[in-house]
Amino acid sequence: MFSLLGGVFLGWSLGANDASNVFGTAVSSKMLRFWTAACLASCFVVLGAVISGQAGIETLKGLTNFDIEQAVISSVAAALTVTLMTIFGLPVSTSQAVIGSILGIGFLNHQLNLQGLGKVVACWVGTPIGAAVVSIGLYYGLAALYNKLRLNLFQTDSLLRLSLIAAGSYGAYALGANNVANVTAVFVGAGMLSVFIAALVGGASISLGILTFSRPVMETVGKKLVQLDPFSALVVVLAMAITMHTYTLVGVPVSSSQAVIGGVLGIGIIKGVRTVNRRTLINILVAWMLTPVLSCLMALAIFFVIHLKYIPS
Amino acid sequence: MRSNMLKQLNISHSYLRPHLTSTFQAGKAGSMFNFLFNKEQQVQALIFAYLEIFPEIQKNFLKALQACLLSGTMCQDFDFYIKQTHKFESRADDIRDEINDLMYGKALIPDARGDIMEIIASFDMIPQLFEEILYLLQTQRLEVPSFLIQDLKELVRLSLECCDLVVQQAKLFLKKSKGIRSVASIIDKNESHCDHIERRLLTRLFDSDTDPFQKLQVKELITELGKISDRADRLTKMVSIVQMKRRV
Repeated sequence: MFSLLGGVFLGWSLGANDASNVFGTAVSSKMLRFWTAACLASCFVVLGAVISGQAGIETLKGLTNFDIEQAVISSVAAALTVTLMTIFGLPVSTSQAVIGSILGIGFLNHQLNLQGLGKVVACWVGTPIGAAVVSIGLYYGLAALYNKLRLNLFQTDSLLRLSLIAAGSYGAYALGANNVANVTAVFVGAGMLSVFIAALVGGASISLGILTFSRPVMETVGKKLVQLDPFSALVVVLAMAITMHTYTLVGVPVSSSQAVIGGVLGIGIIKGVRTVNRRTLINILVAWMLTPVLSCLMALAIFFVIHLKYIPS
Repeated sequence: MRSNMLKQLNISHSYLRPHLTSTFQAGKAGSMFNFLFNKEQQVQALIFAYLEIFPEIQKNFLKALQACLLSGTMCQDFDFYIKQTHKFESRADDIRDEINDLMYGKALIPDARGDIMEIIASFDMIPQLFEEILYLLQTQRLEVPSFLIQDLKELVRLSLECCDLVVQQAKLFLKKSKGIRSVASIIDKNESHCDHIERRLLTRLFDSDTDPFQKLQVKELITELGKISDRADRLTKMVSIVQMKRRV
């Protein structure tokens, strides 16, 4: 059980960081109380992980074969990378960190599933682009419907709130389904956990992160999206959820932060305004390239440190 | 006696008609998720209550003006209607405070919250102006020269019609009925008509042999009365913009 702590730590940091992508808009703009959002997110993350998380776990498990020690090294390296990148304020992707550390251990084992890796990297590129496309389509579709309804101010308010809760819950479900593989797939690969238990433990640790440490992140990170009007914010959350759910069906864990940024960019394209500034874009690009490399190096470093032996002269 | 006075003055009082929409009826309109939005329903009911009180303030303001123009500022009716105007204005203030309290209690999404607060604040500036005008007449014991009374009555009639229309427009906006733009265009026309009357009044005042001190007093009254339609026009434009903002 002690070996699972690395995975639980990773799940906890994932929950603390990524819940803001789902309910950040609603909480930071006081549309929804933090505890309501946290409870909804926690429940739906676990549901998503248990019901739809298996495909992602199978993909990551298939990338390389680990023993228990390597699984622990891999998850600790990913967790440390996520923590480091967060300290430096870079928009980190847990999925990229996990893949980076799996690669590092894979190099050592001389076992790399390059076909599976190609699929994963292609999906990384596709995440923001896909979310942008989904958000553009959703915006036009929902706007036509919304304008047809001719609701008054109070009905509009009620509809937007309910929709944000529904979209956020769906987003939490998609987050759990998609990202649970990052947390516990390596332990399945090492034969330590069954797929179902891995999904349950992963989902629970993400939930723990949401319940214990997501409040400051939700209240600060979410504000970056509040500049959008409520309808656009709803579209962004929904686009993120749909994108992540689609990648869940493909079986590839992707970054919810990158999906959100893609959604926001899509709204910017429609409205002809710059919704994400150049600095944020540069940070994303830097983090996008740096995260897997850093995580890979971190895994290798931890592995070498653990295997250092004192040879008396 | 008061109704006789109204007949004598022969001012059109479209804004004196009863407003049938009750607060309760407005609060009832909703969806199956009403139980989730208690605060929002309270805000809605309070806004309609505010809009019901607004014509009462107008009515008493008009009666006070009529009493003043007919019998001078010394008559009892004038003081009575000033008190009535103040009573209703103060009630409207209480409702506004209640609305603001609910808003600070996080009712509605921030976007709608800001819009509602801004609209109510702008509405509130009109009764404030009514009171200022009445106190101006009361404290300065202002006598309006008889040759200006007819134009002044027309200015008051049009200005209050603007106020009546802006209340109608706000109700239409809250119920999402059609016709918001057409109401806005009538207010716009009335407002420019009021500007013409205001300029005519001032020209006639300063062309007359009236005492210069009285001229300045009456000029202030005319300018203040002219502000009513300006504020109504500004408010109607704000409501139109808020409505346009809601479309995506």
